[in-house]
Amino acid sequence: MLELNGLTKRFGNVTAVDNLTFTVQKGEIFGLLGENGAGKTTTLRMLATMLKPTSGTARLAGFDVVRSPEEVRRRVGFLFGGESGLYDRLTVYENIQYFGELNDMHPREIKKRIEELADIFDMKDFLNKRAGKLSKGMRQKASFARAIIHNPDVLLLDEPTSGLDVGAMREVQAFLKVQKEKGKTILFSSHTMSEVEKLCDRIAVIHKGSLVDMGSTDELLKKHGTQTLEDLFMGLVGGSK
Amino acid sequence: MNWKHVMIVFKKELKDIVRDRKTLFTSIILPIFLMPLLFLLIGGGTEKMSEEMTTDITVALTADSYSEAAQWFLKESLETQDEDITIIEPVADPWEAINSKQAKLVVSLDRDFKKKLEALEPFTLKVYYDGSLSRSGGAVGSLMSAIDKLNEGIAVKRLEAMGINPQILTPVLVETENISRTGDGNILLMMVLPMLIAMLVAVGGIPAATDLVAGEKERMTFEPLLATRPSRMSILMGKYLTINLFSFASVIATLTGMLLAFFINPDALSMGMGEIGGFNLDTGTVILCIAVTILLGMTFSGIQLAISTYARSFKEGQTYLSLLMFVVIIPAYATMMVMPNDIQLYMYLIPVLNTISAFKLVLGGLTNYTGLILAMVTSLVYVVLSLLTAAAMFRNEKYLFRS
Repeated sequence: MLELNGLTKRFGNVTAVDNLTFTVQKGEIFGLLGENGAGKTTTLRMLATMLKPTSGTARLAGFDVVRSPEEVRRRVGFLFGGESGLYDRLTVYENIQYFGELNDMHPREIKKRIEELADIFDMKDFLNKRAGKLSKGMRQKASFARAIIHNPDVLLLDEPTSGLDVGAMREVQAFLKVQKEKGKTILFSSHTMSEVEKLCDRIAVIHKGSLVDMGSTDELLKKHGTQTLEDLFMGLVGGSK
Repeated sequence: MNWKHVMIVFKKELKDIVRDRKTLFTSIILPIFLMPLLFLLIGGGTEKMSEEMTTDITVALTADSYSEAAQWFLKESLETQDEDITIIEPVADPWEAINSKQAKLVVSLDRDFKKKLEALEPFTLKVYYDGSLSRSGGAVGSLMSAIDKLNEGIAVKRLEAMGINPQILTPVLVETENISRTGDGNILLMMVLPMLIAMLVAVGGIPAATDLVAGEKERMTFEPLLATRPSRMSILMGKYLTINLFSFASVIATLTGMLLAFFINPDALSMGMGEIGGFNLDTGTVILCIAVTILLGMTFSGIQLAISTYARSFKEGQTYLSLLMFVVIIPAYATMMVMPNDIQLYMYLIPVLNTISAFKLVLGGLTNYTGLILAMVTSLVYVVLSLLTAAAMFRNEKYLFRS
């Protein structure tokens, strides 16, 4: 579903992402683990066609991110953590509806899908409230709903639980598991070890733009002889510092 | 570019901005109320000043030159020439008298004026006024014309006494007739209105432009938007149309405000310089003028969009875009006094000046198709250039994701 082959991004003399190669299967939750500035967001931005790779290729559902950006975006739901990126002066309903319209959905289909998402995320009480008046947790739920209004095959999630309280974080995690069961491909970036360990089928540790190691949590722990993911991460990242 | 996507973005931006009270207030509501207030205050002030200069002209004799005969002479000879002139009690210090509003003007007469008058010799009447005070400096004209009439009256009497026809002093009879087809008040309108419209068209979209890209970047709504299906050009065009709409809405709001001022007090717009009206409008000129104005708005909307794309944050966008105001204000003020007949061909080629020139032509009842067509063609080039610049900025990730 997702294939990265030697994906590289340079900003002037700085190499933000260096020769990343991996694939993510349909129905898999794949974690990108790295410190701030490791290149996780740049990778996700390239996959969402916002940034053009300097070299290498990335294909999403068979479509090249450079050659067929519109086809790629049609199949992608992109979500930022930390900042929910909602239009404060629009209601939650209008925010989600806008993205449905942008993704060429029929008005009837949008209405039905919003009702469905309002049920999933328990948003009925604040669906008609302006986004600017919502709590962080409510905003994040609305952002999730907006990102998947068009039922994308691939979810690109950049630290989606950042800043959320435990309850909201659990809801998001539960939602991701349901999406996985539905066969969605999820590329998930985080620096929260416990979350990655809990959710991801496989992880890729990246440091300073380069892939350090990749595999399932168990495989990696066994391979590097560590007990926890945190120790593993520090061993990999610390070793390459 | 997909027009369906363009319209989705445009409608959303419109809804979003209409709900932004700050932008709505500065672009639309403020001009509607500010313009009548501004014109009524300035117009009212000018009218009051002109009234002060021409009515209730108090003239005092200096104490040094005072005599009963001098006081009587002034009363008899000047008050009868102009009913607005009143001769008051003598004053010791002319400056003090004028500045304490005791008198608007002070005069002194030769002490032996009566003897000279009777001997048919000239005598001196000295007028003291304070040029820094409009009520005093402006009143000199009225007093001088009263003195001219007095001189003429005395000369006529003397000639008649000598048995000479006084007409001998007037070999040429001068007659003047104002044949302007427009009202006198249009002159001020020709100076102010084109400048105001050009400035508003050029800068009216700034609040919207700042919010639509730089604001979106700051609020982190921009990246999710770019990750949706529409191409960047569709998103750009939707935002561009919104900025255009706002720049024209601000012009319409301002013109509505000016019309309100005109209905409240018709003299407000001309600031007491005469009546406004008698426009001799040529349809072709008006159409070309509107076209040039719309193209100016489109050019500046493109520039504003490019600048807003370059800016990292709302504040940075505001700073850059406020600098754009100077680019507009300087040529607008520089050509404020240019009258329709004085417009040079090069003025039709320069953005802002082309719109000002076109409006001056319309208000002056003149036509210059060569100039206006040149203005339209060059304006079209400017629109394309500004849009290409905005598109290049919007496509360039270096500017789009500047941080």
